[in-house]
Amino acid sequence: MKDQPQVSDKKSAPLMLDIINVKKAFGDLEVLKGIDLQVTRGQIVSIIGSSGSGKSTLLRSINHLETIDSGEIWLDGVRVNQPEMKGMEFERHINSVRQNMGMVFQGFNLFPHLSTLDNIRLAPIKLKGMEKHEATDFCMELLAKVGLQDKADVFPSNLSGGQKQRVAIARALAMQPKVMLFDEATSALDPELVEEVNLVMKQLAREQMTMLIVTHEMSFANEVSDHVLFMDQGVVCEQGPPDQLFSNPKEERTKNFLKKHLQQQ
Amino acid sequence: MNFDFAPVWENMPTLLEGTGYTLFIALFSAVLSLVGGMAVALTTLYGKKIFSYPLRFFIWLFMGTPLLLQLYLLYFGLGQVGILIPALLTGILGLGIHYMAYNADIFRATIISIEKGQTEAARSLGFGRMQTLWFFIVPQAIYRALPQLGNNMILMLKDTSVLSVIGVTELVLNAQFEIANTFRPFEFYISVAVIYYILNLILETSLNRFEKKLESRR
Repeated sequence: MKDQPQVSDKKSAPLMLDIINVKKAFGDLEVLKGIDLQVTRGQIVSIIGSSGSGKSTLLRSINHLETIDSGEIWLDGVRVNQPEMKGMEFERHINSVRQNMGMVFQGFNLFPHLSTLDNIRLAPIKLKGMEKHEATDFCMELLAKVGLQDKADVFPSNLSGGQKQRVAIARALAMQPKVMLFDEATSALDPELVEEVNLVMKQLAREQMTMLIVTHEMSFANEVSDHVLFMDQGVVCEQGPPDQLFSNPKEERTKNFLKKHLQQQ
Repeated sequence: MNFDFAPVWENMPTLLEGTGYTLFIALFSAVLSLVGGMAVALTTLYGKKIFSYPLRFFIWLFMGTPLLLQLYLLYFGLGQVGILIPALLTGILGLGIHYMAYNADIFRATIISIEKGQTEAARSLGFGRMQTLWFFIVPQAIYRALPQLGNNMILMLKDTSVLSVIGVTELVLNAQFEIANTFRPFEFYISVAVIYYILNLILETSLNRFEKKLESRR
């Protein structure tokens, strides 16, 4: 991706995600110690770092699955966290904001009581008021896109891990989100199933989907990202274009982390 | 010893009528206990404390006292203070509420057992709290509860016999009428036992079949 001309366009593209000085603590443990991050439309940003660095918490905070203690999170000009909103008012606000974000989880979290097709089409029907036949056509296209059009009537328990995650991606895409959040989407997969999920993510990247990816896979982050953040102990330790961060890291902690990870791979 | 089943055959219509009542009571009590049980479970889990605390007390009360005593209280106890409910309705209410307490406990456990990721996935798509419960958590909790609910329904079908003590003309009481006429308790009670056994056999087989059918969805 990074060799293509649109990279420079992306710099001037409008801001899609704006994260300003976000802090979060679990009890005494400070997990996020003031994170800033800007993602422009169509940009693909990867977040790497060891477990406990706060990268998953940051991603979950953007979707408000974790409530941040202070700071601001903006999605396409709309503030996600609204400390002054209470009760039902905030409930309505966050439901509408979340419809613009697709979230993909490490553990897939497909709905086991629904067929693959229903997993995908329930949200657009119930939340966007899409007609059933219209939603069915649209969701069958999405299934085809992730290569699973023949699995429409199958239940999740009969899918492999890689297939489950591809369905989960299609489910998130069905709401036509402005940004996709991937929380270690391939970490729970057997090694031979990782590639089929990565291929789907690469295709989304080609289609200019704005993506924020938390990952343990350095080679994938290197290949697909426009920008990479290295998080350590709740702060962004170092960031930059992937070739710079991976081949010429400046910070000692980044070097140590990469050394450890490249040995493993 | 001389067993004579001829009186049983002659009085089969009375037994079948009693069987009809038994099934009628079981059906309505089952619906009450299942719908009410889910409502109680959801309220005790997610409701405001002014509702959930009394309901938890209610569960504890109905699980901690005998069904027979509850029926006496509902029928004769309330009758004493001028609240007269027909025996059949008292029976359905008493049996339904008694098993509602047990079912509520089962639903409570299976609702809690649904992984947190299910709620997170639903909420991240934009579903609200109530929608998440309705579309995702409650259906899965029901699937998971099926084996235990099935057991309860079998127990309940048998417990309809207790209603004979407040004069509901179900299977056992009808048999007792005919025993009084024919003096053949052994033959009648054996026949009644066979009828209960067949009913539960049918119930259990269809529940098993239903569970098998839904296995892939759990």
